[in-house]
Amino acid sequence: MTDLAELLRPAGASLEADDDFEGINKLYLERGWGDGLPIVPPTMQRVEQMLAYCDRPWNEPVAKMAPRYGEATPLRLAANAVMAGCRPEYFPLLVLAIEAMCEEPFNLYGVQATTHLCAPLVIVNGPVALELDINSGHNAFGPGRRANATIGRAIRLALLNIGGAIPGTGDMSTFGAPSKYSYLVAENEAASPWEPLHVERGLPREASAVTVIGAECLHNINDHESLSAEGILTTIAGTMSVTGSNDIYYEAQPLVIMSPEHAKTVAIGYSKAEAKRFLQEHATLPLGKFSPENIERRFRVTFKERYAKAGPDAPVFAVQRAGDIIIAVIGGAGKHSAYVPTFGATKAVTRALKTRDGRLARSVAEFKRS
Amino acid sequence: MSELRKRGLVTAVICSDPFLKLGKTQAKVFGVPDLPLVMIPHPLGGLSLEQVEGRAHVAIPQVVELIKEHAK
Repeated sequence: MTDLAELLRPAGASLEADDDFEGINKLYLERGWGDGLPIVPPTMQRVEQMLAYCDRPWNEPVAKMAPRYGEATPLRLAANAVMAGCRPEYFPLLVLAIEAMCEEPFNLYGVQATTHLCAPLVIVNGPVALELDINSGHNAFGPGRRANATIGRAIRLALLNIGGAIPGTGDMSTFGAPSKYSYLVAENEAASPWEPLHVERGLPREASAVTVIGAECLHNINDHESLSAEGILTTIAGTMSVTGSNDIYYEAQPLVIMSPEHAKTVAIGYSKAEAKRFLQEHATLPLGKFSPENIERRFRVTFKERYAKAGPDAPVFAVQRAGDIIIAVIGGAGKHSAYVPTFGATKAVTRALKTRDGRLARSVAEFKRS
Repeated sequence: MSELRKRGLVTAVICSDPFLKLGKTQAKVFGVPDLPLVMIPHPLGGLSLEQVEGRAHVAIPQVVELIKEHAK
């Protein structure tokens, strides 16, 4: 393994600063290296500790991050992980999430630079989610767990500092979103009546994996009354049917999150595939709900095969293909689900956690250098 | 576009005002920092055909200028 001091020798690879928390934070903010929150100064010692859980060369890029196409080397990722407050054992998952979102179908350039408010959402599956104590239950998307908060934040810092998603320069989002600070959860596999997301997407159950989605924030779906699968699915489909979503215009892959209670009811008689089929068929709204300008300028032009002469009752589908709907079971007690539309021009990517020699990793300990 | 520029063709990216920084940064990223940006007013969405023509009238003189420069 290369000596860290050697890697930091080239001009610009490191900087010297007084051991002063306030001063270093001021310096980082002035240089635009961060998300606005205080950072943990990435000293050589801390970065080296972070890299204890890296089984590859520290200066070999694992991906290039759009829109700057900056090289995401383990060394750079480790500095961002330290800044975010990660524990070293989180590091393999950070690397995996970055690799996944840099795969072509995800369209990281679009997700980063668009005026839309999307951010990469990372859903973790498999034994590593438990090992790292990633929240999948109550308040899974909210505060409280170090793994969710800091791995998600490290991803954002890498998107900013390596990918160049600088607001107004590389990130043109009209609004941004709180999910651009941190957006990482685990699926609540133990409370799910169905196969876990990573298994559904082709990986063995014993694998640990991330699925990344170019996602909006969550929209809550309240249904305290439905006692049947069809009832809950009808409520979810209704919430999916809105006029202002990007997903209307793409072959999009939006996410439906069911709480364990809703999932349990839906699973009585419905497989995941059947639930998706129901949602795709029922998540529609009549063309007449769209503004006349959208009908004339978009539907009748871009989708002319279907809508050139369609009347106001012609159905517009929230999602084009049932198989494109992603269902995950997340959360604690409560009769809620959530809908997460996407950027549209992005595909979800699932990637398994593997050691450098290509074996499925059962534990992050397998990445630890002796 | 950067590849065309590298081949010496007259090239430019049409860019509305708020996207100037993104355009300049991307040009640098792709190794053509001098890539011309043809600037037009924002927005692009929701324009009438007349307004689109208006944007074209802003862009055309800039394109003509690029061709003239290239011919020198």
